[in-house]
Amino acid sequence: MSDHEHGGDEEFHSHGKLYFSIFLVLCCFTGISIAADLIHLPNRAMLAGIVLAVAVCKALCVMLIFMHLKFERAWKYLLLTPTLILAFTIPFALAPDVGMHYYTQTAPQIREFEAQQAAGGGHGGHGNPGGHDAHPAEAHPAEPEKTH
Amino acid sequence: MTTHHPKTPLKMGIPIPNSKLGMWLFLGTEIMFFTAFIGTFIVLKMGSPGWPTDVHVTHISIMAGGINTFVLILSSYFVVVAHDAILGQKFAKAWQFMLWTLLLGFLFLGIKGYEYSGKFAHDILPGHIPESDKQAMDKVVRKFGEIVQSRLDTALADTKLTKREDQKSELDTKIAEWKSKADLTEKEKAKLAEYEPLQQMVNEYVNMKEHVRNNWSMSFPLVAFDQYRTMDESSDDWKKKYDDWKTANKVEFDNGNLKDLKEYLDQDGKIGPVTLHEVNAKVVQMHADPKLAPLVSSLQESHPILYGNLFASNYFLMTGFHAIHVIVGLLMFGLVLKKGSKLCLADAYFVENIGLYWHFVDLVWIFLFPLIYII
Repeated sequence: MSDHEHGGDEEFHSHGKLYFSIFLVLCCFTGISIAADLIHLPNRAMLAGIVLAVAVCKALCVMLIFMHLKFERAWKYLLLTPTLILAFTIPFALAPDVGMHYYTQTAPQIREFEAQQAAGGGHGGHGNPGGHDAHPAEAHPAEPEKTH
Repeated sequence: MTTHHPKTPLKMGIPIPNSKLGMWLFLGTEIMFFTAFIGTFIVLKMGSPGWPTDVHVTHISIMAGGINTFVLILSSYFVVVAHDAILGQKFAKAWQFMLWTLLLGFLFLGIKGYEYSGKFAHDILPGHIPESDKQAMDKVVRKFGEIVQSRLDTALADTKLTKREDQKSELDTKIAEWKSKADLTEKEKAKLAEYEPLQQMVNEYVNMKEHVRNNWSMSFPLVAFDQYRTMDESSDDWKKKYDDWKTANKVEFDNGNLKDLKEYLDQDGKIGPVTLHEVNAKVVQMHADPKLAPLVSSLQESHPILYGNLFASNYFLMTGFHAIHVIVGLLMFGLVLKKGSKLCLADAYFVENIGLYWHFVDLVWIFLFPLIYII
């Protein structure tokens, strides 16, 4: 609980109703994420944008209310700012080399992917030649098998 | 309502209890710890065209992930309500809410365990996933070899033979001997019935292995391999040599339908490459054979998953560390619950701190769910 509520002598006010409303909000956000996946949005970028935005909103609800950061004093900035800067530095530092590639990649998976694309779209763009067949019991005779 | 919570002693520095400061500092390191995993996952995914996103391929269950998200949110709510109750000196109520949190934590782990079992069942494990057709074929052959070895070791345990070649030779000798005998004892009949499918399985294995090793289509009969190798395809008389060889060896292919070698060759005079489709079709065919099916039941078709190993590594790293954090959280809740009716206002700080930890665990899952299960 926040500082003032641990003070000792002041009157204790239950936040039960607020917590319950936040719980409901979090459930709704989860529902939105699942619905966004189920309605098959036109592109993955849109889906990623929606579900990550929802995740950020959920995280803010949990941090501000459940973790009481909304009620805490300024020390929270002192403690969390360096952490967050360092945390976000990692992906940004890695992205140019690993995620964006300023050089030509020669990984065997890249060649395989390019071969799939050349052969006809890489099986629905899942990057997975015949990957649906990971279900051994399921047969998909309509989909042509990839050969060398 | 007045709380009788002990006042924090006056001190220099941040105006919060040391335990809470310690917990927040710990959570600061935890944020960096998980952001490193999550950030790496995002970056690797960005840089890997063809990353597996089909849930049927990765065996990701959005339903299981969604239920687990709800379970963690509910447990987070119970923790915060438990803390609220303890500050309001409703200790029995606080204890009950924490018990619910504990149970929900176990439920989360149970669902996660169910998901993991699916990954193990389909061999979606780091280092186990073929990423090309060739790797998938090699995997089937390797697994088939393990099965064959295991069956032979069991069936021929009394012979003390360990080498596969010796075991196969023993199998062939015994079967030939029993088949030539007019009257077999009951024991010999039983052994013959046991050995014949084994022999068939070994032959199928050798057949598959040689085709994959040589990269020759499975439609090209194994029996013609050696002859094909010795023939000079560029010479005019290779066809005649082949015919002579067929006559001399009384070769019959494909259940007696003698075919010309040329029929197996492509326009360049080469045998077509073996395909994953052929190998998997052979597995399916063996499963449909009543004699072989019991012997090769654990042999599965194999299909490549591009970047499957990287995906599996990331998946198990992130969800595994998250699950470890859940277990640690449950241990801490167990410590508080152990107090039972002795739970008092003095425990409020501890409950708050483990609550903060538990919310952080929830927070991590809030990001893992869309990243792993949806995107």
